Amino acid sequence: MLTLLRDLRRLRLDIALPRPERGRSLAIRHVDAGSCNGCEHELTLTSSPYCDLQRYGLGVVASPRHADVLLVTGPVTRRMRDPLLTAYQSMPEPRLVAALGDCALGCGLLGSPDELVGPVDALLPVDLRIPGCPPTPEGIATALLELVDCARTTSR
Amino acid sequence: MTVRDDRGYRTALEAALTDGYRAAGLHASAGGSIVRVALQAPDGALRLESAAVEDGAVPTIVDLAPSLAWDEREAHDLHGVLFDGHEPLRPLVDHDLVLGHWTVPVHGDDAYQVAVGPIHAGVIESGHFRFHVVGDRILHLDARLFYKHRGLERAAEGSTLAEGARYVGRACAACAVANGLAYAHACEESLGLEPTPELARVRTVLLELERVWSHLNDIAAVCAGVGLAAGNTFFAALTERARRLNARLTGHRFLFGAVAVGGSSLELDAPSVAAAREELEGIGREAARGWRELQFNTSFQDRLPGIGVIAAEDVERLGTVGPAARAAGVAVDTRSATPRLAYEAFEPRVPERPEGDVRARLEQRALELEQSLDVLTTLLDGPIQPAAATPGSVESIVGAAVVESARGATLCVVERDGGRLERVRLRTGSYANWPSVAYAAADNLLPDFPLINKSFELCYACADR
Repeated sequence: MLTLLRDLRRLRLDIALPRPERGRSLAIRHVDAGSCNGCEHELTLTSSPYCDLQRYGLGVVASPRHADVLLVTGPVTRRMRDPLLTAYQSMPEPRLVAALGDCALGCGLLGSPDELVGPVDALLPVDLRIPGCPPTPEGIATALLELVDCARTTSR
Repeated sequence: MTVRDDRGYRTALEAALTDGYRAAGLHASAGGSIVRVALQAPDGALRLESAAVEDGAVPTIVDLAPSLAWDEREAHDLHGVLFDGHEPLRPLVDHDLVLGHWTVPVHGDDAYQVAVGPIHAGVIESGHFRFHVVGDRILHLDARLFYKHRGLERAAEGSTLAEGARYVGRACAACAVANGLAYAHACEESLGLEPTPELARVRTVLLELERVWSHLNDIAAVCAGVGLAAGNTFFAALTERARRLNARLTGHRFLFGAVAVGGSSLELDAPSVAAAREELEGIGREAARGWRELQFNTSFQDRLPGIGVIAAEDVERLGTVGPAARAAGVAVDTRSATPRLAYEAFEPRVPERPEGDVRARLEQRALELEQSLDVLTTLLDGPIQPAAATPGSVESIVGAAVVESARGATLCVVERDGGRLERVRLRTGSYANWPSVAYAAADNLLPDFPLINKSFELCYACADR
């Protein structure tokens, strides 16, 4: 198994990501507010050996209580509105909101209007927009890494 | 259970089930005035039985086909149809706030409930699980999904058949090809169109490309469920490679937009096809290497057997489909009976130990990955040309088709008025298998649930729509 992992290290060379200032980090809480699962699949791969976001101090945390960033996917369904707001309210300040993918940004919404209450910026102040249907792991990683340096100056 | 039986609908259904038909799905249409049941013959052919809704109700069929319980509950919640004899008709899509209405009562010494979700701890889709437990032991699980319900089927009504593909395709990224193909086949059946061999070939390639990344992802997910970061990382890297290949071939990592009603515009020259074959061979070699390592990792292997069992005798009652059914030893696969696709002499495989547990479902993924790569190697033998379906059969206002997704048989029924969609119903492999997840969880330990869930690796998006 260890041999396999050694081989994987070279995969990082395949992608050029911005390098945030050393010693900084971001704790991310993801909320799926009605996505097609594409953004989730790509977000999962930001921790594959190619992007390996953890090496920059970026990771998905288990609770909004531990999070700096709320990363929201999907057009926000009627039934996910309250859980989404609860997650936001549970975060310590300063806090940031990132809208991940075209649905969350309100482009090309598909669905019955009475089932959707989004996009995300209709409910929460959005600090970072990551477009794409879905955005690639590389695109997500780049956007989040740029946020690390911005986060220092932002407080909400 | 008392059942009103005065309209021949139940009798026809009973006869079909005796003849070996599988109950493939049920939906309400025409504003809740008709209920249709899709039945699939052992040779793959589909048939629809309909019943008119009278005084707001039709007789239930869950006593004959228990696997359609969710379908009846959905038809009630979304279309207001009552099912005489289905008691209690618990809400499924509706989020009833009264706990006792949607959960099964569980009583006894020390029994209590653990509520999880809709937001989960990792990068996971939204859904709520209510575990009834004593200590760590799960007695019963009520899953409440449909947090992601976007009303896609309703939104698609009135659009053209071509536009309808957008709604079906975006129901779920992980099953975009399978769902899109089930829809395209249903439309083409309704329009009296038959695929040419070239169209069948390109569509089969797309469907298997989807299965390849999906099964790699599922193996990674089981490693994550056990907590074996090394295995997870290794197979995640292969998933990335497979998605990159998709993007190179079709311009999209999830193959979005690659399936259309009536034809295919995909064009690949000989060098691209040869490069794809080579990359798939590379992925296959690496996957086999990683798989061998997993076999010798005893702490990983120790976690898998006997967990989350679906036995062969449960499969029919629960309506389990796909790798989960085959892992229980039920060698049924829509691919062996799909004349619209290019599966020559496809034989479903089952694992060496078809015990229906987490180990069997994991081994099933590895077997099917190998099969998919074989199918792709055979089909990617020359350039891919644009192709169109040709008129060949009788038109009808209703069309239905079943396609084997990475999660199992996916049914799509299309009802049209001229060129416009009147009703589309998508019943995915995930939808079919969610009740099996809940069933498999009972009697296991709560900390094993993530592993059980990942061994099915169902989509919430395509169940909720």
